[in-house]
Amino acid sequence: MDFPILSAILLCPLAAVLVIMLIPAGRDEWVRWVSAVFSAIALALSTVLWFAYDPGAAGLQFTEHIPWVPAVGIDYHMAVDGYGVALIMLNSLVLFTGVLTMWTLKVRVKEYFAFMMLLVVGVYGVFMTQDLFLLFFFYEIAVVPMYPLILIWGSTRKEYGAMKLMLFLLVGSALLFPALLAIYHQAGLGTFSLVELGAHTFERDFQVFVYPFVYLGFGVLAGMFPFHGWSPTGHVAAPTAVSMLHAGVLMKLGAFGVLVVGIRLLPEGALYWAPLFAVLAAVGIIYGGFVALRQNDFKFVIGFSSVSHMGIVLLGLNIGVIGFAGGDASTGQSAFDGAVFQMFAHGVMTALFFSTVGYIYETSHSKMIGDFGGLGSQMPKAVSIFIVAGLCGAGLPGLASFWGELLVFLAALATFPLLGAVVVAGLVLTALYVLRVFNQAFFGPPNPKWEGLPDLRGWALLPRALLVAVLVLFGFFPRAMLDLIGSTTSLLAEVF
Amino acid sequence: MNLTFFLLLSLLLFSAGLIAVMSRRNLVTVLVGIELMLNAASVNFMAFNFFVAPDPVVGQIIVLLIIGLAAAEVAVFLAILMVLYRARHEVDAEDIRELRG
Amino acid sequence: MSPTLLVLLTIFAPFVAFGISLVFLMRRPVLAQGVALAGGAVSVLAALLLLAGGPAEPVRHLWFASGNFQLQFGFVFDGLSLAFGAVVAVIAFCIQVYSIGYMHHDPGRTRYFAMLGLFGWSMLGFVYSVDLLQAFIFWELVGLASFFLIGFWYEKPEAIAAAKKAFIMTRVGDVGLFIGVLMILNLTGISDIPALLDAETGLLAHVSGGTLALIMMLLFMGIAGKSAQFPLHTWLPDAMEGPTPVSALLHSATMVAAGVFLFARLHPLFLASEVVVVTVLAVALFTAILSSTIALVERDIKRVLAYSSIGQLGFMLAALAAGSLFAGVLHLILHAVFKALLFLCAGSYIHRFETNDMEEIGRLGARRMRWTTAGLLAGGGALAGIPPLAGFFSKEEVLAAISYAGYTAFWLVALLAAFLTAYYTFRMIFLVTLPARMEQGAKDAAGDSPWVMLVPMAVLTAGAVLGGLMMGPLGGLLGLEVPSHSLISMLPALGAVAVGVGLAWWDFGRARAPRRGFVEALGPLHTLFVNKWYVDDFYRATFGRAVHAVSRLLQKTEEKGLDGGFDNAAISTSRLGGLIARLQNGWVQSYIASVILIVALAGFYLGIR
Repeated sequence: MDFPILSAILLCPLAAVLVIMLIPAGRDEWVRWVSAVFSAIALALSTVLWFAYDPGAAGLQFTEHIPWVPAVGIDYHMAVDGYGVALIMLNSLVLFTGVLTMWTLKVRVKEYFAFMMLLVVGVYGVFMTQDLFLLFFFYEIAVVPMYPLILIWGSTRKEYGAMKLMLFLLVGSALLFPALLAIYHQAGLGTFSLVELGAHTFERDFQVFVYPFVYLGFGVLAGMFPFHGWSPTGHVAAPTAVSMLHAGVLMKLGAFGVLVVGIRLLPEGALYWAPLFAVLAAVGIIYGGFVALRQNDFKFVIGFSSVSHMGIVLLGLNIGVIGFAGGDASTGQSAFDGAVFQMFAHGVMTALFFSTVGYIYETSHSKMIGDFGGLGSQMPKAVSIFIVAGLCGAGLPGLASFWGELLVFLAALATFPLLGAVVVAGLVLTALYVLRVFNQAFFGPPNPKWEGLPDLRGWALLPRALLVAVLVLFGFFPRAMLDLIGSTTSLLAEVF
Repeated sequence: MNLTFFLLLSLLLFSAGLIAVMSRRNLVTVLVGIELMLNAASVNFMAFNFFVAPDPVVGQIIVLLIIGLAAAEVAVFLAILMVLYRARHEVDAEDIRELRG
Repeated sequence: MSPTLLVLLTIFAPFVAFGISLVFLMRRPVLAQGVALAGGAVSVLAALLLLAGGPAEPVRHLWFASGNFQLQFGFVFDGLSLAFGAVVAVIAFCIQVYSIGYMHHDPGRTRYFAMLGLFGWSMLGFVYSVDLLQAFIFWELVGLASFFLIGFWYEKPEAIAAAKKAFIMTRVGDVGLFIGVLMILNLTGISDIPALLDAETGLLAHVSGGTLALIMMLLFMGIAGKSAQFPLHTWLPDAMEGPTPVSALLHSATMVAAGVFLFARLHPLFLASEVVVVTVLAVALFTAILSSTIALVERDIKRVLAYSSIGQLGFMLAALAAGSLFAGVLHLILHAVFKALLFLCAGSYIHRFETNDMEEIGRLGARRMRWTTAGLLAGGGALAGIPPLAGFFSKEEVLAAISYAGYTAFWLVALLAAFLTAYYTFRMIFLVTLPARMEQGAKDAAGDSPWVMLVPMAVLTAGAVLGGLMMGPLGGLLGLEVPSHSLISMLPALGAVAVGVGLAWWDFGRARAPRRGFVEALGPLHTLFVNKWYVDDFYRATFGRAVHAVSRLLQKTEEKGLDGGFDNAAISTSRLGGLIARLQNGWVQSYIASVILIVALAGFYLGIR
């Protein structure tokens, strides 16, 4: 370990928070540039990390281990596996594009970027820490700034949305914290280290009892059916970049938590509950699709589509557990690879969605589908970009989420053929609600009301184009991702 | 002069204080009541210290503590009272109900 | 040049044109046209060189690996791919050239030509795919490109509705196909097409009986969606809302051809299950009858052609299902040529007269457009199966294949369909070329479409006339013997065609023709045909409503039940807090009283213990 790259990445947003706080009031330009520069550095470091990570060696790399509170066994222990690298990359991407998306923010710029950077500190922390306590700590750091961010800079019933989101997530945390403490005590190792806890085998009864707490606690954040209600409301209320981070990264935090805490530490418990949770996830996929079909607000459509797409991630995780535990390594491998791939793809995709809707809202001050019509001729670039995101959502090949869905569906069909078939049939539903939005808002006779709206151009185009490029890149070269996460998945197989 | 005498005295003091606290509407009188109750407790401590466990002087220490606390408490109480009086021109316990839930 | 390089050129030249146009040339339609044409030309040249090079070993490259599940994408160079790839490239190029004339006034030309490039790329990629999943990817992209092209005039509500319908209906089929492909992957672990076809280690070695039938039926679902077979056929006639050259492309060598091509690709696997064979035959021939009967009463020239495509696709699938790869592929290729021609002719009329109604086109003087009319005659004759035009040979092969396979009942149905095809084709020709009266001044309106439109039509006309000559070379490419038929065995088919043409002449062609089809005397049947067998209405009334009902129900559940439930939980908690807060009455002395009461009670409790 030469250069502490993980700490450096973690430090970027943290330093940004501090620097932003020091900037005198009224210097909004400085705030933007500081945020942009620090997030660009984080993105650059994440790219370095991506290429420096050696998938062949698998396992945890770039370890930094400093005892922190030795009395109870809390360590500053940072290390990443393939999943972590992928998700850190996702976070950096969404952060960087999010900062650029919010370039035109006028109200309380300083506070906004400070909160946003703080949130991102938490997200990075969760993805890189190997300490259960720190994980929970960072998790809370990531969740709490959401409240002021939505409350101050939000729109559309923002008080309601912010409160709802907070209540759901705190209830999730309330389930989680005792479960984490129970894990700590039950192991009796006097350490919060995920590595050591992972090596410990818990009693089966204990696992079966505690796992649902962990799954539900993290699952709420992942938008699991039926505890997804906060997510569409929160997305709608949140300002653009917060929606991006929120749907793009925060929801992955939940799924990641289920993976590293739930499945890694409590595999038998996970297996016991997997069929139930798999069914719930599948219900979520279909349910989200149907509900999205009836929404009139762009952001609600995306919000419910997120519920549907995160259902695919959760389905993948549960199927993967069944696959590995049942000795069917290839199903397990596909399912976990697919789930993580889908996390990444969905993150980039929703970031793109919200970023573009944010632009449309910013220029027209409306995000109701019915207000538009024929927008394609008025802002062709913005609409084209939205269409790319929509097609990605519909699982079209050539865009990243196809591969994630393919792998999860493959595993689902092998494990529960009927359930798998129903979920695949859900693709029709996805196409339906995506095309409905296209046809109602973008195609058709142009609405004269929006004549002369400026299209995306120059700097505003950059973040969106970057996200499109990422979607296409992984859509055509899925190996770039699978080589990274595949070896981590094979290590996961040893847990069972 | 035995323990019982002092306990009765303390009971008397405490009851007087309690009655004052419970029944008087003027907050100054309430404060006096509280002081009485604190003193009852002090008497108790001293009595037990003297008759039951004379060797470790824990009782005396606690009494000192109580006196100190009482002084501080009175200071804070009176300060609040002053402010209240300035703001509302009254110190009636039944009328000051801003902290109603 | 190596086949790999050539195939990359063939496939990616249109894609490069697509990318360049969309990113750089949005404001320069003329340049975009040039780029598209250059891409198309490179693609045609490379495809023809590939064809000249003859079959070669497939090439593969590891594309995707997740544990044991590995996908090797690459290209296959067997006769089927080479022949059909060349046809696709040539027809796509012809249509690009034609579009220069047809679309010259449209401001969105860049987008149009870019999407043609996307279409060409995805279809060619599909044709040369070595892997089933790779094929599926390009298959979906073909659907996407046709979505954009059908909805090209996106300000027209009908166009976007048609595009959506096409996408959704093919998607329904694709779900089946996708599940089928995934099942194959799960059961065998391979998706490489040559490996799957291998008799020793392929799919047939792993599964049989019911599972095999299930998988093949699922795959056929996708094919039925793409190739517009009953019950997923209704999107194709609506797809007419796109520009006419797009219809020409969609109906000939791309999109609908993809389904038949996939069937031909996996031919041995489909034949392995008797249930599937019979189902496909039944579906395909039923579709042929259904579509032909609707074409009998249709007035819109493009819709007549669309229904004829559905019918001819049914013929191809029936031939393939009956076991004759040669007949199916021959009809696929020749149909691609003459159907593209017919659409281009129709486009030429529409471009000139700005109407789709056949009688009106005739009345406005269609006959005066000599070259176009010559093309229409050649294409129509080929479609009807008039010897010695292209369609005659392929239709003979199709009918012979069904008859030789011993499905006499199906053969009779196919004959009926052939008769109907001849009838409605000539109804179209007579309506267009022999109108009852011509508009005043129509005679003076001589002249034809510009040469950029006529040249591609001439090329395709040559194909439609001389297509029969390629039977030999095609047989050689596919490695199949060209069957030879005696004149006697051809007689029934020829008879059916002759009766069809004759009846059309009687109804529409002769001097004092009633100009009413015989079906109009059939009463209820006529109503059935005019209403397209009520299939669309049925879908609207069932699936359409069901989806809406379910989504409304779930939306209610979300609002009132789930979301509302959580809201209520939160509100109740808050109310409960309000209740408890009442104890906090702000009267200090009551607090003290309760403290003392509680302490006293506690003391009492402890005391009695």
